[in-house]
Amino acid sequence: MSARAPSPEAIAWRRETASLGMWIFLATEVMFFGVLFLAYFHWRVHDPDGWAAASRLTHEWLGTLNTALLLTSSLTMALAVRAGWLGRRRAVPPLLWTTAALGLAFIGVKAVEYTLEWRDGLVPALHFTYSGENARAVQEFFYLYFAMTGVHALHLAIGVGLVAWAAVRLREPPTELSRRDTVECLGLYWHFVDAIWIVLYPLIYLVGLAR
Amino acid sequence: MNSPPRLRVYVCTWLALMALLAGTFTLAHFRIGGLNTALGLAIAAVKVLLVGLFFMHLKRASALVAIFAGAALVWIAILFGLSGTDYATRHPSPAPWTAPDGH
Repeated sequence: MSARAPSPEAIAWRRETASLGMWIFLATEVMFFGVLFLAYFHWRVHDPDGWAAASRLTHEWLGTLNTALLLTSSLTMALAVRAGWLGRRRAVPPLLWTTAALGLAFIGVKAVEYTLEWRDGLVPALHFTYSGENARAVQEFFYLYFAMTGVHALHLAIGVGLVAWAAVRLREPPTELSRRDTVECLGLYWHFVDAIWIVLYPLIYLVGLAR
Repeated sequence: MNSPPRLRVYVCTWLALMALLAGTFTLAHFRIGGLNTALGLAIAAVKVLLVGLFFMHLKRASALVAIFAGAALVWIAILFGLSGTDYATRHPSPAPWTAPDGH
């Protein structure tokens, strides 16, 4: 083991490869969510009115609150990355904890929504009692709703875990050069999960509001 | 990439995102037909662009990173394009085990 510190070029190169690897992973994630969006597109164009009726059964205020929570969490995450970039190591953990707390709040609101939808009998296969004229469209809509918001919430839960882990690890002395890289890659993942929600939001909550 | 963007850049991005959220929620209540969905998706696209450019630093990213970020969009366009033409031009052909009523 050489005691020599890595050259600035080596650090920059490693940062670049770490970031590139994360972007390649995110590209595969786009494909993962992409097929769900395609299924949504296919079903919706075949029964636009039924889907508008189904969308009206969602809780648009809770969805909007959650969007605001997630957008704000992206700000605190971006500020954590910035603090790491500037070498302000002590500022990073509080910003990461805030990010994780906002992510948890999002999951909490989502849980409230799921509870309301269970109460209303809108959960396909498990507890579905809706029997209006658009019953089939409502069932299709809520099938995709739970699939898409479910995998999104899973991604967010993983993100909350990783951000909390990083916040704890950062309290230790900086023995690894990769700390800043870690927070940067976490940030890319967090913003990606935010971006998926940004696209989901109008497709789930805003479809049938104008009447 | 030596010094990060100024704090102001992040705060303004967040303010723009919140304003767009309020805008898209309000617009969705007006009856403007197909424009409702088109505007909702257009605003979502602007929000994703803001997050990508300023929070994910795509604005300052290397060409290689930008190519991979763009490639994700190209692949998704292929998925939607080819599958979309298929669904738009064919009658549903039921599989041998599909129930007679079609679902």
